[in-house]
Amino acid sequence: MVSLEVKHLSKTYKKKLVLNDLNFTVNKGEFLSILGPSGCGKTTLLKILIGIEKSDQGQIIKDNTDITNFDAANRGMGIVFQNYALFPNMNVLENVMYALKIKMKNKDKAKEESLKILKMVKMDQELKKYPHELSGGQQQRVAIARTLVLNPDIILFDEPMSALDADNRLTLRKELKALQTKFNTTMIYITHDQEEAFSLSDRVIVMNEGVIEQIDTPNKIFNNPKNAYVKNFVTRHLIEKVESIEKCTGIDL
Amino acid sequence: MKKFNISQFLILIFLITFVIFPLGRMLLMVKWANFGTLIASSSFKEALINSLLVTSIATIIAILIAYILAFTLNRTNIKHRAVLKLLLTIPMLIPSISHGLGLINLFGTNGLISKGLGFNIIGMPGIIIGSILYSFPIAFLMFDDGFKYIDNNLYDTAHVLGLNKWQTFKTVTFTYLKKPFLSAVFATFTMIFTDYGVPLAVGGKFITLPVFLYKEVIGLLDFSKGTMIGLFLLIPALISFLFDTFFKDYAHNNLKSKDYVIKENKLRDNVLKILTYTLITFVFILLGSFIYYAFINSPVLDHSFSLKHFDYILANNVGKYLFNSLLIALLVSILGTIIAYFCAYETARVKGKFSRLLHILAIVSLAIPGIVLGLSFTTSFKSTFLHNTFTILIIVNIIHFFASPYLMAYNALQKINPNFEMVAKTCNISLFKIIKDVIIPNTKITIREMFSYFFVNSMITISAVTFLYNTKTMPLALLINNYEGNLMLGEAAIISLIILIINIILKLGIYLINRYESRKDAYEYNI
Repeated sequence: MVSLEVKHLSKTYKKKLVLNDLNFTVNKGEFLSILGPSGCGKTTLLKILIGIEKSDQGQIIKDNTDITNFDAANRGMGIVFQNYALFPNMNVLENVMYALKIKMKNKDKAKEESLKILKMVKMDQELKKYPHELSGGQQQRVAIARTLVLNPDIILFDEPMSALDADNRLTLRKELKALQTKFNTTMIYITHDQEEAFSLSDRVIVMNEGVIEQIDTPNKIFNNPKNAYVKNFVTRHLIEKVESIEKCTGIDL
Repeated sequence: MKKFNISQFLILIFLITFVIFPLGRMLLMVKWANFGTLIASSSFKEALINSLLVTSIATIIAILIAYILAFTLNRTNIKHRAVLKLLLTIPMLIPSISHGLGLINLFGTNGLISKGLGFNIIGMPGIIIGSILYSFPIAFLMFDDGFKYIDNNLYDTAHVLGLNKWQTFKTVTFTYLKKPFLSAVFATFTMIFTDYGVPLAVGGKFITLPVFLYKEVIGLLDFSKGTMIGLFLLIPALISFLFDTFFKDYAHNNLKSKDYVIKENKLRDNVLKILTYTLITFVFILLGSFIYYAFINSPVLDHSFSLKHFDYILANNVGKYLFNSLLIALLVSILGTIIAYFCAYETARVKGKFSRLLHILAIVSLAIPGIVLGLSFTTSFKSTFLHNTFTILIIVNIIHFFASPYLMAYNALQKINPNFEMVAKTCNISLFKIIKDVIIPNTKITIREMFSYFFVNSMITISAVTFLYNTKTMPLALLINNYEGNLMLGEAAIISLIILIINIILKLGIYLINRYESRKDAYEYNI
């Protein structure tokens, strides 16, 4: 079942076409990555999807409703930003219940809901801790809980792990995948990291200079890259990785 | 996206009305035909040469002292750094005229130290020493900050490359301190060149340019001539401003620099320790002279204990002037902090050409010496309802001290995660709420610093307000000028002490609040 449909989306910025006639769908419960190098337009796409920026042309349809001109707050989407953007002056519980409290105008109920979500992401033992006292993984769980508590249909991720070290990223990827399976929420994940996109996603959109080069499952993109760009950008990186593992271990992969 | 918002628009109107308009109006008032006569007059030439002479000498010495102090606190094994830093900035808490006054107490015709020795420092030496005392803390803070950004890896590299001490200083230390060094030189030069507090108190017949301006305007009511002299005072300030705005500072690009490892050198440490403690002792002797003069009968005839100076100032309604000063300082701090903070919010967190224009306007006040700003206000608003009101004194102080607190807020707001507003947008939280609940709580240390800067400077300033007060609105610091002019050194000393004590209480209060909060929750230190 289709959750989100993007039709003929285009955007020009300072006379440069940054998004050129994008078309794709996202299925319910799917984990879709948008992969591309910096400057390929993926962040602009995310901003348009979430409603922070407007497109020049095209439509965004969510659950059969045209939300192209909806405010960010009314799109039923949540977002997890780079470095998570947790509020440093609020503890875990306050971070999660802040927006809900304003929305519900009922502190007790907001607290109850927040505790429920925090328990689901296994953060109910750290309620009084501040963001700087949490590990990267815990911060990610709080950021996701903060988004989930508002009950969005789709969660978008804006390169949330780009500032972290390789070790941490690996742990966080596993955690994120587990959370997605648990909540079965549709997720759109923006990244420039091939490995991240391939290990997390059901499908991957490869973008370059404002156009979609290929949309497919990781397996198909790897085995049947549509053109030289995809082959070069996606597969070469992974092959190099395999080669280095072979070199280190002596095992022929 | 909108080109500008209402808040940007209001701040822009405020800055245009109270920075651009008065300055422009003042410039239009200049009778250029008389310019030649002014420049050719011997009194002007003398004042200009005097000013250039004392400013150059005092700047060189102040910069040298400031550098040595910053070096001592950052590059030697001296103990109690935090306390020493605090003590070294105490001179910033009293008006410049009080520095001159302290020197008269100690080294004047009947000075405590000079009397028996048969000399005095009234005139050029007094102005130089007073100017150094008044300006070195600012330069010291600039160097102190500069030292913190030097990456120690570079010293290791220099060592591996076999560079000697001088070569290392040239290639590493100086490269990194070039911007703070030149900024400090310009700032100190400008401060001293445009100050009239010190020369008015201790200058005697040695007239400098700001005193010349002051006498023309206050004594002879010649505003046109005053304005022309003001133009000369604008020149170094303008150069300083242009330098600070356009000179690239690459030292601050390094966000994390490795701490410097201080090498053992007892001789160096001891020599610098003695110098530092000597300077602090001198500052305290100067401040101590205020206490002594406050409690003696007469500095010339009778040094016996007396409370008559207190009786005199109480009988002359000192409470009223104290109230005026506190009222002005409090309102300047509250309103100034609010305006500067929101101005910085609009420039640091809202992108666009409009915010860049606002940024330039916000820091332009750095280029206007207080005495020139005061003059431009009096010429521009004399015939408006603002004339002779507290309002105009409050506004002139906000503008005079706007740039530094603005830059504090600008830097703090730029450091905060840029996505908070977007989080708010997607969660249906209003911008107002996110500023109140997230942005402000995460910058409260900066906000307190801004408040303190406005407050202390409003308490000590005499330059910008000097042409704008009347008997009802007169601030306390101007009493020092009056008393000193009438040789009432005891009374002037008491007023200096009152100002110093109030400023210390405020600084201490803010320090304690910050310390209490840093124990309670340390998040602002961990953004």
